[in-house]
Amino acid sequence: MTLREHLLSGEALGQRYALAVPQTALAGATGNQLGRRAGTSIDFQDYREYQPGDDLRTIDWNVFARTDRLTIKLFREEVNPHLDLVLDASRSMDLENSPKSAATLRLAALLGTAAENGHCTHATWLAGDGFQRAANDTMLPSAWDGLAFTSRRPLDEAFAILPPRLRRLGIRVLISDLMWPVEPLTILRRLADGAAAVFVVQLLAQADTEPPEHGNIQLVDSETGEEREIFVDATVAAQFRAALARHRESWDAACRQTGARFVSIVAEKLDASLPALEEAQLLVPA
Amino acid sequence: MPFLTYPLALLAAAALPALAAIYILRNRYRRREVSSLMLWQFAVLSREGGAKVNKLQLPLVFFLELLALALLVTAATGPRWQLPAHARPLVVILDDSASMLASQSSAGSLPAVSPRTKAAAALEDLLKSRKFLSIRLVLAGPKPRVLGSAVTTATEVREAIAQWTCQAPAAALDAAVALANDLGGAQSQLLVLTDHASPGSEFTGNRIQWWAFGATHPNLAFVNATRTTHGESDRVLLEVANYSASASASAAYRITSGSNLLRSATLTLEPRARQRLFLNLPAGTPAIEATLAADALAADNRVTLLPAVRKRIRVQNSLEDAVVRSHVDKALDSTGLRSSLSAAPEIILHNASATPAGTNAWGLRLLTDTTNLAAHTGPFIVDTAHPLARGLALDGVVWTAAAPGTNQFGLPIVTAGNTPLLSATEDALGRQQITLHLIPDRSTLTATPNWPILFWNLLTWRARETPGLVESNFRLGSEVAVRALTNSAQLKLPSGTTRTLTKSAEEFVLEPETTGLHTVSAGASTWQFTVNLLAPEESDLATAKAGKWGEWERPEETRREYSSVLWLFVLSALVVMVTHLFLVTHSKGRV
Repeated sequence: MTLREHLLSGEALGQRYALAVPQTALAGATGNQLGRRAGTSIDFQDYREYQPGDDLRTIDWNVFARTDRLTIKLFREEVNPHLDLVLDASRSMDLENSPKSAATLRLAALLGTAAENGHCTHATWLAGDGFQRAANDTMLPSAWDGLAFTSRRPLDEAFAILPPRLRRLGIRVLISDLMWPVEPLTILRRLADGAAAVFVVQLLAQADTEPPEHGNIQLVDSETGEEREIFVDATVAAQFRAALARHRESWDAACRQTGARFVSIVAEKLDASLPALEEAQLLVPA
Repeated sequence: MPFLTYPLALLAAAALPALAAIYILRNRYRRREVSSLMLWQFAVLSREGGAKVNKLQLPLVFFLELLALALLVTAATGPRWQLPAHARPLVVILDDSASMLASQSSAGSLPAVSPRTKAAAALEDLLKSRKFLSIRLVLAGPKPRVLGSAVTTATEVREAIAQWTCQAPAAALDAAVALANDLGGAQSQLLVLTDHASPGSEFTGNRIQWWAFGATHPNLAFVNATRTTHGESDRVLLEVANYSASASASAAYRITSGSNLLRSATLTLEPRARQRLFLNLPAGTPAIEATLAADALAADNRVTLLPAVRKRIRVQNSLEDAVVRSHVDKALDSTGLRSSLSAAPEIILHNASATPAGTNAWGLRLLTDTTNLAAHTGPFIVDTAHPLARGLALDGVVWTAAAPGTNQFGLPIVTAGNTPLLSATEDALGRQQITLHLIPDRSTLTATPNWPILFWNLLTWRARETPGLVESNFRLGSEVAVRALTNSAQLKLPSGTTRTLTKSAEEFVLEPETTGLHTVSAGASTWQFTVNLLAPEESDLATAKAGKWGEWERPEETRREYSSVLWLFVLSALVVMVTHLFLVTHSKGRV
């Protein structure tokens, strides 16, 4: 299947969902959703005393007539919530003999479509040699382009080279296998800074979660090309599983520490993992 | 050792450690791309931490390859297996003659060991030391007989040879060997167990072993015993033989009748000499028993003789000519077989053209027609097999009779040219109708011994056709014919067991296998007869031998018992290789 087909598949899947927008995300540019602050909508929110600089058009003259005090009338602001989709574009997301890249594209398209359904704007960032936006990323996912998983740099290096200009009070979703040695908090703090909500979706291939069968194995790092020969037996397999569990636990703990939500799903079981995204309050049925 | 005799297989065996070395020493790493090596750091740390002895990990395919190679190497050695299906069958010929029971029981204090006992023990030892595909037993009596079906174990053989009683008057070993050969086939091995030496080189081949367990013993034996009618008394003949190689012997004998001692004496016999004893007994004397002192063979030391059978025939002489009738009466009286006419006649002598009706009698018609007379002086053609013609010597006899032209009187027994002189035919009622063409006053037949012989034959023939036995004393091995009117009869053996006899033609014919008193019951009638061993060849123990002749095996023949199982190993190797292929192609590299 081609890139477009994966995006279309994800888009079709996302028609059933809408992005769950948290209250903290109801801020931003003028849009078609009521924000949590006072704005220019027609929905009355509150009164307060006039302060210098307030728009004189909002003075409620009837109240002034009755109380001889300048009081302005506050209306709810109308905002467009925003989704910043951060995709790990490293080569490990395109692991050979696995549907990892396809699942990433489908999941990104699903979230983009769900954002559309939730009247959210959205942007898609690719973490390669710095962060770059995908072409046509404000349009429907099927129009996205330039999504390639070819980077050899981990996410923290991309942040260092060229950080993304993430929308304030936006919903930020990181889709990555998180397979690089880094202190999770360094990434999460940058993602959580100014965000209404942060979701970390760890997308792994089945091969990432299960060690190889017994025998001599030559492991090749998909990003660095580094090779390592090991003999896998029951002990080594158990050690691998323990290391993976520890790695997940460290990310989960860091997410809890920063208020982010952590979800780990397997690429081969993407469709079956969508309820987990609902549980994490990232998606709601449309 | 097979490997040392097959150098190529020895070389091929080197593939086994080579394969193991390949698996152990090879470094076959399967390439696998992973998202990151960060989760595998522990393995590196473990290796860098110091030398660690890992348990040798060998996949299943290694063992399959090792097994396939081992099977092929074994196959290359040409394995041969002593398969039961290819072992030879054994046919044992058991000498069933009475001499197999000979033993020096009275001479020593040790228990008597007969050739039969020794032979049975030797057979048991053989079966313990060697296995055979099947074992068949052939009993060599006067006629060879197969003893049961094929057996395989020594226990079954032991049960089967319980029937080996050694009571036969002779052992037809040649015929038994021939039967065993047919029975076992070309691959069979034959074993003869006897007490006599191998008769010659024909038994010393590689298929027959001849084991003899006999021993030479002096032996006194009854070799003949008869009791015949002699007028109104019985005459007993006993013949005693000394079968000693060198020494003369004293034979103490006793003749008793029930509890009455009839005679007791001692005979002195030269080596290998015989002596006859005669004894006249009044008619009606019951069974007598003659015994000799105990010696090597017990079976020939005792003889039982029942009273001779006296069958008398009621003859009605209805001949018209008084002179001729007188000649006939004299001849009939001379036979001693004629009885008074107390009941319906059994033979009617007449001149009528037809047999007198309403009787069960045979008829002898004397034709004295004087037309076309011819005096015959021979040569006479005599059917010597006919009961009426036994003992007739017609040389010099003038036999005058009318020429009948055509033979309308049945089967000719005596003819002169094409002129039947004596004929016999059986009518619809089973009666013999005999026709005698004779002009007595112009012939010399009535003046010769042929005349009473002819009537003796006639009465004897008729007597044989009456129910019952013809004789009452038989040699072991002879045929006993019992005539009865019923269709079934029972034979009671000396052992007390009873068996049913099958009728052959008009008689029950049997061949007693044991000595002693036998009783035949047919309807309300009962007849007794006795059987005595009377076998000089069995009593003569001077020719008994011990030894072994013949061999079974030759090295090149032994190999034939082993069958090649090369196919088994090749087939197994193929199965293993197919399994290997399946595992390799379906396991996706996991093995």
